[in-house]
Amino acid sequence: MITCEEFFAEFADYLEDQVSAEVRQELELHLSQCRACHVLYDSTRKTVKIVSESDSFELPQDIFDPIIDRVMAKLRTDPS
Amino acid sequence: MNFQGEVGLEQESDPFFVFREAFGFIPNFLRAQSALPRVIAAHAKLEQAVCLRDGAIPRIHKERILLSIAADRRDNYWVALDTKLLTSLGVPEGHIDHLLNDCEHAGLLAPDLALLEFCLKLSRDSSKVAIEDIEALRAQRLGDEAIIEAVVLTGLALYRCTLSAALRPEPDVKPRALPPRMIRGAGETMPATVGADSQRKAKRRGPYVPAPYLSPNTFKPFAVVQQSHGYIPNFFRAQTLRPDLLQAELNAVGYILLPEDVLSRVQKESILLAVSAANLNSYCVAVHCNMLRGLGLSAEEADQIAVDYRLSDLSKAEVALLDFAVKLGTRFSEYSTEDTAKLGSFGFTREQILEGAVVTALNNFANTLQMGLGIEPDFEAPSIFEKNKVNPSGAAATLMAREGALLLLETSQDPDAELVARAQCGKLEAFEELVRRHTQLIYRSLIAILGDAEDAQDAMQDTLLSAFKHIGGFEGRSKFSTWLVSIARNAALQRLRSRRSTESLDQSDPDKDHNFRPRQIAAWQENPEQSHSQAEMRRLVEKGLLQLPAKYRVVVMLRDIEQLSTDDVARQLGLSVPAVKTRLLRARLMLREWLSLHLVGRSKGAAQ
Repeated sequence: MITCEEFFAEFADYLEDQVSAEVRQELELHLSQCRACHVLYDSTRKTVKIVSESDSFELPQDIFDPIIDRVMAKLRTDPS
Repeated sequence: MNFQGEVGLEQESDPFFVFREAFGFIPNFLRAQSALPRVIAAHAKLEQAVCLRDGAIPRIHKERILLSIAADRRDNYWVALDTKLLTSLGVPEGHIDHLLNDCEHAGLLAPDLALLEFCLKLSRDSSKVAIEDIEALRAQRLGDEAIIEAVVLTGLALYRCTLSAALRPEPDVKPRALPPRMIRGAGETMPATVGADSQRKAKRRGPYVPAPYLSPNTFKPFAVVQQSHGYIPNFFRAQTLRPDLLQAELNAVGYILLPEDVLSRVQKESILLAVSAANLNSYCVAVHCNMLRGLGLSAEEADQIAVDYRLSDLSKAEVALLDFAVKLGTRFSEYSTEDTAKLGSFGFTREQILEGAVVTALNNFANTLQMGLGIEPDFEAPSIFEKNKVNPSGAAATLMAREGALLLLETSQDPDAELVARAQCGKLEAFEELVRRHTQLIYRSLIAILGDAEDAQDAMQDTLLSAFKHIGGFEGRSKFSTWLVSIARNAALQRLRSRRSTESLDQSDPDKDHNFRPRQIAAWQENPEQSHSQAEMRRLVEKGLLQLPAKYRVVVMLRDIEQLSTDDVARQLGLSVPAVKTRLLRARLMLREWLSLHLVGRSKGAAQ
């Protein structure tokens, strides 16, 4: 079985689903037998999901509308 | 002329990381190339795809083959390094001695021995390889994937040895004494005779391995080749069984051949043509003749370089460059540091000489693949080229190399193209529509760099004004959104500077990056976020993001929040894809630590 170091080396690609079938098999075998790596993988995957679904820093329309309006007004009066 | 690392190595650049992971340290052959990081990136791509992983051939056997070829060429540098590698992979010294002295009695399995001998034959005189050699491998139950891998591996071995002949890196470990006599005499090439070449042609029926159709629609690197060449050369088609290797080769070509910042494309194609001609490789001669014509040379000029460049109209300096490349590429055992110095006396810079050596190495790689795979000529008649000229635009080519292989495909499909054209004619409504489409992307790019909502909103205004001012200069070479983010990035950086912040986006912290190990190891609940409201989760994530150093925050926000692809993030930020991957993982792990602190305890409580 691969070591935790080897698992970690492939970890970034595994999270992105960018490993070959053989590598995937190795990694999954490792995950099934190593609790620490399993926790790491599981929680990192959940982190990505949470961050992706958080809508963080979405600028509400009532803030960006005035900004755009201001800029457009400026451009209309002085397009240079 | 000394290539040895005077130039500071950027520790964070990931190609180095690839090699450090593989070797346990940064070998001197890399330091010797540090003046030109993109050629290191090219080499890293090749090593990674071809050698550093188990493919159809196990990694350890690939290392054996590389060692044997290096020993056969009397390349002490690579013999020392490969020996160290094999030892670290657990191969006993005694086995290595056997391998170097008498591989037939090294206790290899029959298919392994057959592969090794095939690779040695190909490396010594590729013109001697014929379909019978391939069939002999198949008789050993070796599959076509393994055969392609063996050919490409041999190409890589010659790439390495050509480079070490030119760069003369200091050995990284104590060199190993080579046995006095190898199977063949010390490090001699055996140039094929013209007679042998024509004889071989009569019996050759290439390509030797089947090449399934690979569509440019599904295999994007082909779409780029299609764009730049007007067709997919057989050289690439012959390897479609192994898209992984193709991808790496195309990346390497992009890094080495397309940029024009050091040697020009004409100079590089001339090297490829002259060395291929000296290697009597008629396929590669045809390809590079045509490339040169696409770059604006007349048919006669290109032919003259192939036949005898010394009688061409090239300047003395250009002839010296080709002399250097041909000697390095075909008579490497005669090559000495004096040849490097001589080229320097013609006014070539260190970077140019380095690139000349790398292009020569790439040529030997390509010549080996063509011969080893029996790749057939592409054209019936050269007139095809009149219609489909190769891409002569240096600027476009440089950009293509910089922005990665998918660029051309994507720009032709930029959904903003029409609005951009109207905005460029001064239509304000079109401009307004464009910025509304990308408000969130701009804002998030700004806050990612600035780390402050109010600052980001102010910078938003600067960004939009600047975008309008410069939109006339947008030439459609990247996606409009990419361009817009670069404008936002500049606006944010300007603001940062005025704030006199010391935090830099490019600051590297190699130890922290590579040795980072997670601390929180408690398991998470199935849906830890469910014990919090959406608004609470958003605040928590935002707070975590704001605590990250900006260089990580930018990457994770564009990738995970804006959901751009890794390639796009790299393009937006002007980083390499591996650098983006490293930063992304680091950012995700830091966020994981942060969320662990706040979620694990609480959700446990909630579950009880």
